[in-house]
Amino acid sequence: MSKRQVAMVMDLNKCIGCHTCSIACKTLWTRREGMKHMWWNTVNTQPGEGTPHNYEQMGGGFRNGEAQKGIRPTEEDFGVAWDFNHDDVFHGGDEDAFLQANYGEWNNGENWKGPNWDEDIGAGEFPNSYYFYLPRICNHCTKPACLEACPRKAIEKRDEDGIVLINEDRCSGYRFCQEACPYKKIYFNEILGKSQKCIFCFPRIDEGVATACSRQCPGRVRFLGYHDDPEGPIYKLVHEYKVALPLHSEYGTDPNVFYVPPISPVKYDDEGNPTDEHRIPLEYLESLFGPRVKEVLDKIESERKRVAAGEESELMDLLISRKWLDMFGPFSKHPRDVVSAEPVRIVDPAQLSGANPVQIMDMGDKS
Amino acid sequence: MISKRIANIKDFMNPMAPGWQQQQVEVVKMMPTPMAMQPTAYIRNSRAGMPHGETGQIEVSSVHDGETLAVNLSWEGVSPKGGDFPDAIAVAFPLKGNPVLIMMGSKTDPIHILHWKAGKGVKSMVAHGIGLSEKGPEFRIASEAVEDGNRWRVVISRILGTGGGIAPVTPGVDTKIGFALWSGANDERAGLKAFSIDWIPFVVEA
Repeated sequence: MSKRQVAMVMDLNKCIGCHTCSIACKTLWTRREGMKHMWWNTVNTQPGEGTPHNYEQMGGGFRNGEAQKGIRPTEEDFGVAWDFNHDDVFHGGDEDAFLQANYGEWNNGENWKGPNWDEDIGAGEFPNSYYFYLPRICNHCTKPACLEACPRKAIEKRDEDGIVLINEDRCSGYRFCQEACPYKKIYFNEILGKSQKCIFCFPRIDEGVATACSRQCPGRVRFLGYHDDPEGPIYKLVHEYKVALPLHSEYGTDPNVFYVPPISPVKYDDEGNPTDEHRIPLEYLESLFGPRVKEVLDKIESERKRVAAGEESELMDLLISRKWLDMFGPFSKHPRDVVSAEPVRIVDPAQLSGANPVQIMDMGDKS
Repeated sequence: MISKRIANIKDFMNPMAPGWQQQQVEVVKMMPTPMAMQPTAYIRNSRAGMPHGETGQIEVSSVHDGETLAVNLSWEGVSPKGGDFPDAIAVAFPLKGNPVLIMMGSKTDPIHILHWKAGKGVKSMVAHGIGLSEKGPEFRIASEAVEDGNRWRVVISRILGTGGGIAPVTPGVDTKIGFALWSGANDERAGLKAFSIDWIPFVVEA
């Protein structure tokens, strides 16, 4: 266990499924060789298969403290990135050409399941259909199954903040980490022969800047901070008000990403009259976030009523992010204010053929 | 095991080269690495009841020309293409002290490994214990491999000599040799492998 632990809370009542978080991450971290299929941050529609497809049936994690067997997701499981015929449309000279995705052999259906193929399908029958969005990153677990599984000791949990990192110098591409991670949030770079995953934007965290997915979120979904900081949003939401719950805590890894479960509109009866029942079945939410879901939903609804009645609520002020920067605890600095003399340089070993290291990121960017 | 002196190593770099047919072939018994010695609980639990290291033997012959050593290795079991892990074989020599092969050496008594992987060639590695192998010294090594039906035939070569962090292998000086083998089709990698149980005395003819 690390001395301190950073954590993230995502308020699912505010996620609009815009994928800005995923794009922020992709732009910053996974544009190099072998990373085309990597989305260290994903947003999937629930109920749904998630990404990698059906990851909840892929095993791993711990049961009664014992490491459980898991399977390695393939690139196809994650969802192969589609190519589009942009050249034909924009430069081909055929004014009737229209944009088409190339999923495998041209439109024969192979690899048609992209990483977010079942977006907005959800479940239920009209007028009681329902869905919500579930953003996921690496959980930077307190008991990381990936770290335990690696025979090379290539995975480290930083003592100062508990961020879990793969040391690519030590990684031999054995992929036991992929099998062991029950959340299936580790990707394999076929070109480098290395496993790669979300790094919780540690170069930004080190400078007091929030993760890119958090800062870029238009819905103000993501809170950041340390568990042991009583003034910070993580302590308040997870430990004080207890309205943020881990995803699949039964996997036994003590994840450090927490979710405020979604409150759904009510169901309609056969005559079209509203009922008292939430449209998202409680049992479904409990299958994701555990037995405390009802307690949390009741708490949020009662606080909402208090505010509607003109009373004050610190919890509601926090959840609506009345002050944006309060969401990020000690990581509220603007990236431009921490630009050091030395920009962060990332060397892509795949491109290192005697040439100069490739600089792909400069913290001076406005992200 | 004896490495015979021959005139020109270039005639022996290909595993199918006719010169090899005149060389004595030694059968080396292999056994699976013990499950209890796999370094993580995940590996022990997830592979429980799944056999590994089932290739019971390899055939080895060796020659040198005073400058370069070549080891010709062959064994049954060419994995189908497209798997996640390659077939692989390793030739090990003591680098220093008296390392225990099954322990992959130790901090003070390391092992020098020439690790060949199908489709990737051979790499120099140094191991200081189980799970503690790293990139080894850069020196002249080479490999050539042939798929002979379901049989791999691989020649791994290195320069003879000592110093510069390489395992000493010198004409007229006795040393020891060990082997490890991974079957890609069985998802074998890391400690999931067959190995030659213990060192085999290795004589490089003067």
